[in-house]
Amino acid sequence: MNTRYLPANLVIGAILVVLTLGVALLSVFWTPYDYTQLDIVHKFQGPSAAHWLGTDQLGRDLLSQLMAGAGNSMAVAVTAVVLGGSIGTALGLLASAYGGWVEDIVMRLSDLSFAFPALLFAIMLAAAFGPSLPNVVVAIAFINVPIFARVARASANQIWTREYVFAARAAGLGKFAISRDHILPNIAAPIIVQATIEFALAILIEAALSYLGLGAQPPSPSWGRMLSEAQTLMYLAPQLAIYPGLSIVVAVLGFGLLGDGLRDVTDPRLSRER
Amino acid sequence: MIELKNLSVTLGAAAAVRDASLSIQAGDRLGVVGESGCGKSMLALSMMGMVPDALAVSGQITLNGTAMPPRDETAWRPHRARSMAMIFQEPMAALNPLRRIGDTVMEPMRVHLGLSREDAIKRTLDLFAETGIRDPELRLRQYPHQLSGGQRQRVLIALALACDPALLIADEPTTALDANVSLRITDLLVRLSRQRNMALVLISHDLGAVARATKDILVMYGGDIVERGPTAAVLAHPAHPYTKGLLGARPRIEQAAGKRRHLPTIPGSVPGLFDLPKGCRFSGRCSVEMPHCARSKPENVNTEQGQAACHQLKEGHNGG
Repeated sequence: MNTRYLPANLVIGAILVVLTLGVALLSVFWTPYDYTQLDIVHKFQGPSAAHWLGTDQLGRDLLSQLMAGAGNSMAVAVTAVVLGGSIGTALGLLASAYGGWVEDIVMRLSDLSFAFPALLFAIMLAAAFGPSLPNVVVAIAFINVPIFARVARASANQIWTREYVFAARAAGLGKFAISRDHILPNIAAPIIVQATIEFALAILIEAALSYLGLGAQPPSPSWGRMLSEAQTLMYLAPQLAIYPGLSIVVAVLGFGLLGDGLRDVTDPRLSRER
Repeated sequence: MIELKNLSVTLGAAAAVRDASLSIQAGDRLGVVGESGCGKSMLALSMMGMVPDALAVSGQITLNGTAMPPRDETAWRPHRARSMAMIFQEPMAALNPLRRIGDTVMEPMRVHLGLSREDAIKRTLDLFAETGIRDPELRLRQYPHQLSGGQRQRVLIALALACDPALLIADEPTTALDANVSLRITDLLVRLSRQRNMALVLISHDLGAVARATKDILVMYGGDIVERGPTAAVLAHPAHPYTKGLLGARPRIEQAAGKRRHLPTIPGSVPGLFDLPKGCRFSGRCSVEMPHCARSKPENVNTEQGQAACHQLKEGHNGG
């Protein structure tokens, strides 16, 4: 890529992601109002100078809730994907380095876990260990382990055939040192692309679980929970459902596009004709 | 120091190396020549314990008096970089593109010699100076793509020297370099071998480089060692028809400058591993072939220069 031309999905994705992450980060330090602050007199207000997006059925500021929800959503997604991604990548590297029965065990276990639909699996975990955000994180991380194990193993297997890996073996380096110093840096690109895409799915799963009441518990803010609370008021105040719904769309679309764009840039073989 | 006895590297019925025996002592400089696919590299890899898993290895490998299992990472790993090290044909491919040169070169000395980072940097700078790398301080922090081919090969040599190996195996170290640079790299290898009393195995199809750099020579064809002896004597008076053919096929400027003439070649090409003749591997391409050559494997015959494996020589000796 010598040209300055960047694929559109990368640019649009990056803008949406920066927007979402910016809002999430901002919400840690500042929101217009305390999102838990009730103001029953001013419930169901439309947009105004005081409340940019209006208020909900209990008079809470909608914008503040959405911002805090973004922070929550990002925190869950980042923690879960980093956790699951690290464990999965480590397992993939292990499988690739040692081969044989180690590889068989890792790969068959991940095949096994692919047999479960991700969301159902998360619901099952949440149901078993009780609804809470930490459990949502664990569930999403768990789903991500086999996905990253697969990507890491497939990419690592390619790198193991490179001559510089052979040279490292000839220099007397062991499999651990080679995996850490030579394989891992060279499979970073596909891992990062995968992480970005999994990030979008993590946001979706978190929202789904919270919507079902298995994730964030009141009063902690969450787009999914806002959706489920707005559901009964759909005819009275549709905007209460539209805003969190749009937020989810923007965040998921942003990370999805960014992931596709990154893949197009880092792996020319996979990019589609443009 | 390292000794191979009746070493064969086989893939099913096909032999990449057949019955090779050789012994290397400190200070030896051995050239291994032959066309591509003659088993030169497999011979080198078996001295590193790095023959690919798909191939079977038989015979004995003895390292410093200890018999080595031909393929056991845990047995070989402590010896790599210290007893023997290797440099490769493609200096670009043999360096990790995402690692700084310094980190790559320092790694084996930190693993094997347990040096601290400061000591490793000092040692790396010394090695860079010894191998003629310009701006050593700068190179430490650079990436492979920022170096020229010759400089990269010097980096690989420095990497190979990291732990003072007793034997350096150079697998076609100059094939990817231009003639001028190639000459200097060859001379560098010889100088290092002399200064450090380090044995050198130079695998090459560049007969000029081998003549310049080595004391002894092995000529390989189709997995067999067909001729061996002191480099100068063998190249001056080759006994085996294959060695004669190789020598005849060198381009010569003084002849080319006169009138146009075709470069002499050995007719045909090296057969695939599975198509090699059972007896003398060279039968089918040989100019002095006899009917039974393809069927029976020639034994080593002592020649004036060393040894060669050819039925002609045997007949010659017997028949007078």
